[in-house]
Amino acid sequence: MKKLMFVDDEESIRLLYKEEFEEKGFNVVLAANGEEALGMFDDVQPDLVVIDIKMPGMDGIELLKKLREKSRDFPAILCTAYGEYKQNFETWASDAYIVKSSRLESLFEKVDELLLRKEKQ
Amino acid sequence: MSELRKDPIIGRWVIISTERSKRPSDLLVEKSRPRGGFCPLCPGNEDKTPPEVFAFRDQNSTINGPGWKLRVVPNKFPALVIEGDLDRQEKGLYEKMQGIGAHEVIIETIDHNANSSTLSAIDFKNILFAYQQRMNELKKDGRFRYISIFKNYGEVAGASMEHPHSQVIALPVAPKRAVEEMNGSEEYYEKNKSCVFCDIVKQELKQRERIVFENDHFVAFEPYAPRFPFETCMLPKKHISSFEATDNDLFGSMADCLSLVLKKINKALGFPPYNYILHSSPIDNSENDFYHWHFEIIPRLTKVAGFEWGTGFYINPTPPEQAAQHLRETAVE
Repeated sequence: MKKLMFVDDEESIRLLYKEEFEEKGFNVVLAANGEEALGMFDDVQPDLVVIDIKMPGMDGIELLKKLREKSRDFPAILCTAYGEYKQNFETWASDAYIVKSSRLESLFEKVDELLLRKEKQ
Repeated sequence: MSELRKDPIIGRWVIISTERSKRPSDLLVEKSRPRGGFCPLCPGNEDKTPPEVFAFRDQNSTINGPGWKLRVVPNKFPALVIEGDLDRQEKGLYEKMQGIGAHEVIIETIDHNANSSTLSAIDFKNILFAYQQRMNELKKDGRFRYISIFKNYGEVAGASMEHPHSQVIALPVAPKRAVEEMNGSEEYYEKNKSCVFCDIVKQELKQRERIVFENDHFVAFEPYAPRFPFETCMLPKKHISSFEATDNDLFGSMADCLSLVLKKINKALGFPPYNYILHSSPIDNSENDFYHWHFEIIPRLTKVAGFEWGTGFYINPTPPEQAAQHLRETAVE
């Protein structure tokens, strides 16, 4: 079972991710902020990470950079309500940038695509 | 008393505040905090960027692997996309089209911590060659009308990361600013039968009070009516309407001039954030007698506020003659 880690400061979003992705057969691990995610990462060793950008304390881009220093190989998706962070080239440390919507289809598709790509490597 | 000065190309007026004149030490230079950490533009992380469209690399190196000196890659998350048709539509007063364009990033060096004072003249020459190569390549795409090349250095100037880079954006329309400059230059040409930029160069070289630096083929000076303190213009002495038409022989001289001017600005102002922008003729009118390509270099030392946004007037607290003198007297190697 593939293990996905979701980092988002909004509890309702975290619960939505958990419900929807567990239903699709993934093992879901949740973190409520950057610090928590950073602390869990080595133990969890997720197959893919989905990170919100705008979070109190360490933002998602900063978190991703720190995670990339631990491992450059895991697929990462930045999933945010804001399109303007695309102008920040630090987001290139991720493999995909998705603007959040209540429908999770594009996120499902991207998760499948990146996990498949990783398997083929 | 302050002075109102008029830009001879687009007719924009500015206020040069001679009374409250600010010396370099009075200007507030906002430093960016070093961000550090993982950098997707650094060597070894080529897989984090889209595949390169141009590079200077070692002969035995592999495309999209290490061994490069400069790389050009498409923006990974672009605002404008390269695939598709423009599908231009009008509805009453309004006009729209699809968000088609090209957005590329020029990774100028492998050295994450380099800046315009540490890059060599050869590095600058490579960067300028890359600009020309990308312009020549992108202008082949019939959908594009204008190619904008610019560099943001420092957070205040819009740079989101430290690794030295500049950007290329190909647009399906000519931007307002380019059109204003083209129209102003053409109007001047019709009246005077000469290029306004060539005439400015002649007058600046004669008066010499706003010259920052010159070599055989290029000159850098503070414009007569600059919007910002230490705003600097650099251009070829001979008439060349578009950057892409510039002879290879001039690139050494161009690199020396740009490098030296940026070093002077860095030293005089303590590494301020800055933008430089390449202004060149639009694609469909690239060879003409009235427009002259140039670099506009803008250290980001003042804030643009309500008056500037509302009127297009700018208040510049440093007379260009003082800025030029200060930069001339700033010795750099």
